[in-house]
Amino acid sequence: MNWGNNMLYDRIFAGALLVLSGLIAWTAFHFDVPFQYEPLGPKAFPIILSIVLAACCVWMIVKPDKNSWHPTKEILTKIVIGLVIMVLYAALFEEAGFIIATTIVGAIFSWLFGEKPLKAFLYALALSLISYFLLADLMELNVPTGLLLGDL
Amino acid sequence: MDVLHYLSIGFSVALTPLNLGLVLAGCFIGTLIGSLPGIGPINGVAILLPLAYSVGLPPESALILLAGVYYGAEYGGRISSILLNVPGDAGAIMTTLDGYPMAKRGEGGRALALSAVSSFFGSMGALLLMVIFAPLLSKLAIQFGPSEYVWLMIFAFTCLATMVGKRPIKTVVGVVIGLLFATVGIDSGTGILRFTMGIPNLFDGVDFLVVVIGMFAISEVLILLESWARNDLKLTPVGKSFISFSDIMAVKWVILRSTLSGFLIGVLPGTGASIASAVAYGTEKRFAEGKDDHFGDGDIRGLAAPEAANNASAAGSMVPMLTLGIPGSGTTAILLGALLMFNITPGPLLFEQQPNIAWGLIASMFIGNIALLVMNLPLIGLFVRLLSIKQSYLVPIIVMLTFVGIYSIHGDTFDLFFMIVLGVFAFILRKLGFSLAPVILGLVLGEVLEENLRRALSISGGDWSILLNGTMTYVLAFATVAALTAPRILKALKK
Repeated sequence: MNWGNNMLYDRIFAGALLVLSGLIAWTAFHFDVPFQYEPLGPKAFPIILSIVLAACCVWMIVKPDKNSWHPTKEILTKIVIGLVIMVLYAALFEEAGFIIATTIVGAIFSWLFGEKPLKAFLYALALSLISYFLLADLMELNVPTGLLLGDL
Repeated sequence: MDVLHYLSIGFSVALTPLNLGLVLAGCFIGTLIGSLPGIGPINGVAILLPLAYSVGLPPESALILLAGVYYGAEYGGRISSILLNVPGDAGAIMTTLDGYPMAKRGEGGRALALSAVSSFFGSMGALLLMVIFAPLLSKLAIQFGPSEYVWLMIFAFTCLATMVGKRPIKTVVGVVIGLLFATVGIDSGTGILRFTMGIPNLFDGVDFLVVVIGMFAISEVLILLESWARNDLKLTPVGKSFISFSDIMAVKWVILRSTLSGFLIGVLPGTGASIASAVAYGTEKRFAEGKDDHFGDGDIRGLAAPEAANNASAAGSMVPMLTLGIPGSGTTAILLGALLMFNITPGPLLFEQQPNIAWGLIASMFIGNIALLVMNLPLIGLFVRLLSIKQSYLVPIIVMLTFVGIYSIHGDTFDLFFMIVLGVFAFILRKLGFSLAPVILGLVLGEVLEENLRRALSISGGDWSILLNGTMTYVLAFATVAALTAPRILKALKK
């Protein structure tokens, strides 16, 4: 068996899922069920699933696929930046409001995909203003106004 | 005739100004989304779903819109396949084989028109089959009890595992993850909380939309971030060539055969456009062998076959979704989830009790297909120009739409963070070679599967032998075993 480096991802993932399936089974087994009218109850289904999952994980650990993902440092950084911005977007969305959050986040994304900073900012600004009108007024969606307009 | 009566109900629903507008909008948006490289039908439907929900469309209208996007995107997928050699999604891979060589020798216009016409006949043919077979299937399904449903779902998962992806085990893991997601929240039988980890937002269960958007759209953005480097793609000019009548006559049998096989493959649970188009292409290639065959360097038969088949399978995969409540593909799983959100449970009774939804959808698909053909012949220039839209403009729009869509459901930022977490999880899954369709299928079917299993066992008082009781359960169990073993046997026979 090859425990070498190039089969590691599958094994790590399957190992994590294996632990998770154990946790699921344990949690399900300890459900506090005060009354129950049917033979199977709420415990059985999750327990069956966790057994299937555990079996699959063991199989994956024994016979993993080769790693097919070889990201460069540059790509990893990009993905992490993208993630951080999305988290930022989620944090700002309600507090700062749609227009401000979308302008900032949209500009960074546009820049990440190769736009020049100023052009990216202008595009994001136009995008957020136009779509605010479309989404909030035309489609009457729940779009947070945040700082800019106060709570109208 | 019953069918004609119901169809007329359907058309009366589909022809109201709102629904007619939505069909056209859906088809247009779908073609647009499908033609953008990298954003396939699933992402299109996923991104638009929360918007359609929050705007407060009635269920049949929302479904009509989303279905329009779905088959519109199957149409649009061919544009980037033919002109860029980049398939928009897995179902369009086969189109590149002969479509791109045609475009390279200056017949882009002919290839685009021919594929539009093949797509049109493919979907129309499949729709006619759907009108005939869907009511029959629902009549059969009316006699299904809980045991039969349990088997149907196991059958669907088995088909998915053995036919999709390289590693069946990874598909099974995906399905189980989806099923486990479905168990989160209050248990309907006893009222106890399961796996909520004390988070109030999870008491009602994991929100379907958050999972779909997180897993598809957010992970797609991460994938785009990774793969972005192809701004230097060369667009092959469309050219002045166009389709001729003799072209159509030359491929009429190809289209007919591919439509039939595409529809059947679409109806099979778990198998969708990618398999349908591959099978059709392979079949036609074998048929053409020795008869002036240029497959692989721009044979019109090699273009017509996968295009007819993938559109036929899109219609075909609606059949089990509407009649059994069991989706035939990842995208129809999302459509099913959409229906469940509107408190409509598809199943054998849908066709009789809510004809406005089932038949309204079918009628709208007839209209949509005509609209797509009309749109795609003269407007092709517009869609082609869209191909050159820069990712730097596109990605901010995708991110914005996903956030607005999710926030507008509950107005709670918890959903946004949860969506990102799921997006990262899905990204890891995709990088490890898992496909996401099984997860979504598991998620939509989880509750139904558990409910039917528990119902079956309460009927029998806990005796598991009820799962093999009655002819239909045997048939389905046999079909499951066949789906499990058939690929191996076929492989062995080939050797």
